[in-house]
Amino acid sequence: MGLLALLALIYLGGAAVNPTFFGSPEAFHALLRDTSRVAIIAVGMTFVIINKDLDLSVGSIYGLVAVVFARLFAPSFADLDIVTSVIVCVLLGIVIGLVNGVLVTILKVPAFIATLTTLLIGRGFVLALTQGQAIYYPGKAKEAPLFFHLGETNVFGFNNQIAISAVIAVTGAYVLAKTRWGYETFATGGNEQAAVYAGIPTNWVRIRAYLLSSLCATVAGLLSAAQDKGVTPLYGVSGELTVIAAVIIGGASILGGRGRVAGSCLGATLVVLLDKVLREGLPITRTIKIGEEEVTVNAVYSLPVGAVPVFLGLLLVIAVLIEPYLIRRQVAARFWAWLRGRPPPAAFEIGGVALEGMATKGAMATDIALSATGFGKFLARRDALAVILTVVLWLTGLFLRPDYWWNLSNTFAILLNYTELALITVGLTYVIAAGDIDLSVGAVLALAGSAAAYFLKVLGADPVTAVAMGLLAGMLAGLVNAVVAVGLKLPAFIATLGMFYIARGLAAWFVAGQQLTGWPEGYNLLGRKVNDILLHFSVVLPDGILRSLAEVVSVQTVWMVFVALIAGIVLAYTPFGQKVYATGGNIRAAAYAGINTNRARFISLMLAAFCATMAGIINVAYFRSFNPVAGQFRELDAIASVIIGGGSIFGGYGTMLGSLAGAAVITLVRALLQLNVQGFSMPQHWINVFIGVILIAAVLIDIWVRQANLFGRLRARLARRARTPEIADA
Amino acid sequence: MPDAALPQPIVEMRGIEKVFGAVQALRKVDLVLYPGEILGLVGDNSAGKSTLMKILTGAYQRDAGEIFVAGQPVHFKSPHESRDAGIEMIYQDFALCGNMDVGQNIFLGRWPRKGPFVNRRKMYAEADSVLKRLKVDVNSVFQKVESLSGGRQQSVAIARAISFEPRVVILDEPTANLSVMATERLLETMLELKRQGVAQIIISHRLVDIFAVGDRVMVLKRGENVGDRHIKNTDEHEVLEIIVSGTREQARTADQAKAV
Repeated sequence: MGLLALLALIYLGGAAVNPTFFGSPEAFHALLRDTSRVAIIAVGMTFVIINKDLDLSVGSIYGLVAVVFARLFAPSFADLDIVTSVIVCVLLGIVIGLVNGVLVTILKVPAFIATLTTLLIGRGFVLALTQGQAIYYPGKAKEAPLFFHLGETNVFGFNNQIAISAVIAVTGAYVLAKTRWGYETFATGGNEQAAVYAGIPTNWVRIRAYLLSSLCATVAGLLSAAQDKGVTPLYGVSGELTVIAAVIIGGASILGGRGRVAGSCLGATLVVLLDKVLREGLPITRTIKIGEEEVTVNAVYSLPVGAVPVFLGLLLVIAVLIEPYLIRRQVAARFWAWLRGRPPPAAFEIGGVALEGMATKGAMATDIALSATGFGKFLARRDALAVILTVVLWLTGLFLRPDYWWNLSNTFAILLNYTELALITVGLTYVIAAGDIDLSVGAVLALAGSAAAYFLKVLGADPVTAVAMGLLAGMLAGLVNAVVAVGLKLPAFIATLGMFYIARGLAAWFVAGQQLTGWPEGYNLLGRKVNDILLHFSVVLPDGILRSLAEVVSVQTVWMVFVALIAGIVLAYTPFGQKVYATGGNIRAAAYAGINTNRARFISLMLAAFCATMAGIINVAYFRSFNPVAGQFRELDAIASVIIGGGSIFGGYGTMLGSLAGAAVITLVRALLQLNVQGFSMPQHWINVFIGVILIAAVLIDIWVRQANLFGRLRARLARRARTPEIADA
Repeated sequence: MPDAALPQPIVEMRGIEKVFGAVQALRKVDLVLYPGEILGLVGDNSAGKSTLMKILTGAYQRDAGEIFVAGQPVHFKSPHESRDAGIEMIYQDFALCGNMDVGQNIFLGRWPRKGPFVNRRKMYAEADSVLKRLKVDVNSVFQKVESLSGGRQQSVAIARAISFEPRVVILDEPTANLSVMATERLLETMLELKRQGVAQIIISHRLVDIFAVGDRVMVLKRGENVGDRHIKNTDEHEVLEIIVSGTREQARTADQAKAV
């Protein structure tokens, strides 16, 4: 009910501020039409979230379905008939849903990391399939009026999408509230263990929810195709944010077991409305002096491109906080009682911990290291894979392009790419070892870069101020991450997911969506080679080995090695590093042992933001410009690096050496894929798809080979079959 | 325990009360523990056993009552303060970090230092000597705890507890997750600790274990004392009867029961 009132309030507010846009029935109709697609996806997402899962891939599925439909249907591509195109799209939706579900349930990958990868892979496919171009097919659309009429206004005067959305919402609400499917969903989300004991096939329940969510996104994608008769690569970008925010605002709990379809649909209306209000802008009157006269001019103040996610991200984090901090603590009831001077109502029984993270311990690997010697001992290390892969990949490069790979300039080009990633990885290693995750590193990189660029270019600040401001912006983002995750006890993935959108939105806002460039060269020295800096200060090195070294090594590489060295020593050899590992291994045991686990997690999250911030400041100096897409996909690279390097997504593991080697693996893979072998090179868009696949493979290897010791168990089973079983030691 | 003039109790709790919301979890509960004694704390679920122990360690704060450790009144605000007073608790799930090795776990949170770094050599040497003192077999102090069996993990947890040189060790359901073999070994370890003069409190549902090593058994029911017996003057049947049908009015202390 409060939601409805809020809705009316925002709408009236929007109407009052901008009557031309919001006052008319057309506007209301347009609002409902745009809401309907979000609401359809929200219905599926409600099932997923009640299951205590998360599906970040819906925005990508929505975009991918629209693109695949365009590729199949458009005369300029496959030119298939309408029925085949729709069937293929639905099949695609089913496959993605199944992949998500199987990854999360049977293969036990944490939901946020599995679906984040699907999101990025899907986004990579969208860019690759469209080549970054829009595809339109209005001509051929006339051949299938029945399908395309779905996206248009019907004889009753409203858009068919609204009707479809209503049907799906009612069906979804009925299934969730009245049928066994719904009851099974609530049981699974409320207490999965209990549900298993009660004979509910929880894996199937969760896979089913992912299928529903994916199918809903598919339907929404098809509707958008029917409405627009075309597609652009931007379809569905950050759609998952809108949908998840809608579902959470609609009363679902991120901790599972709570949620309603009606609430989710209302939430969808609210989020779409907010989005529209933010995008439409404020009519303002400006006074301009022309000569002696003052002229008032009507203008519109609107947010720059890309700034809207700031508010949606904030909304997401706040909405997630409402449930544990307002509803469970009965703030409203207690406030009302306080107003009337009555004693507060009896408190619910509140458990010791309000919110629990996702992290579960699944580790049970036997210690192979103890029995091994020499090289075997090295192989048994968790970071061995990354080191070996680095060597193998480098040799592969040498094999493919013996003329070019060995070359000094190529090596240092790789080293430069490596530096940015490695710097981010240093901080992320701490976060992952402490059992958290930071999804916002790429966005924080962009935020710090944009802040520095803004001060340099727009305010004309000197380099030192710019660096300070960049650091300040990045560290503020880190502080918010740490406070929300540690202080307010939200799971780190949701806190940093909010920051992922907020920081990138702010970065775009600072620079108004533009690329900034052209500022004092003094700042750019941060991204130059050592020799350039010496020359800047008129120091000329004599010819020789020192000079050649200074000509190839960049100052940021030196800095990265310095930071990594200190961070590595602290992590491996000091009590603080041990505290980080203990916190990630078993946070309760660490707390009982007197370790300040909050401090360890807080410092780790701040360090991750600090490293990303430094990378952002250096990025701007290196390119001599700031591009709002800086650092995109970097979180994917960095998480993959740490996991390949021996980190565990469940926390407690990860070494600096391993993470640096993991970063080298990712850098080399990117370099190899870009390598021109006999006139063939892979386009950039496909590379991100490939990296996504590597990330998910690394997580799977970590869970199943390193922790569950799949091979060891297989070997043991084979050995047992060979001889009579012995009674195992208790 | 010698029957002669009793020494000063190492732990004495008097009139402990604790309320959770509308639930009175503990009502005027008394507890006495003498040095080197093994006290079994039994009772049905929700009898208040764990609550009483958490109040003793400072994990919960009492609403009323007094606690004396070695005759000194104390008021622990956290488990760390009770640890300083020589009281250690071993949790049902052992509270170890599976990703770290045995040595690191024994010194969890108080790793010996050398300058700013962890002094590994000293840590592993001392861990080894603690394990030897306990006479338990854990292959190597370098082994990761998650690769150990349940019984060995418990040995590590006990080793960790006694490395603080405690005067009192509280074991919360120590045999709940153990096999028969491991339980036997645990009981031996407890007797070894007793020989070293460490007083112990076992919270357990398994009367067999308490009768195997205990000196005295104390029964709680719905947050109240309902009885207290010396092991040698009672049997499992009587204790079970007290658990099921004991009331505060009928409650007798161990010495009263012996006198009858």
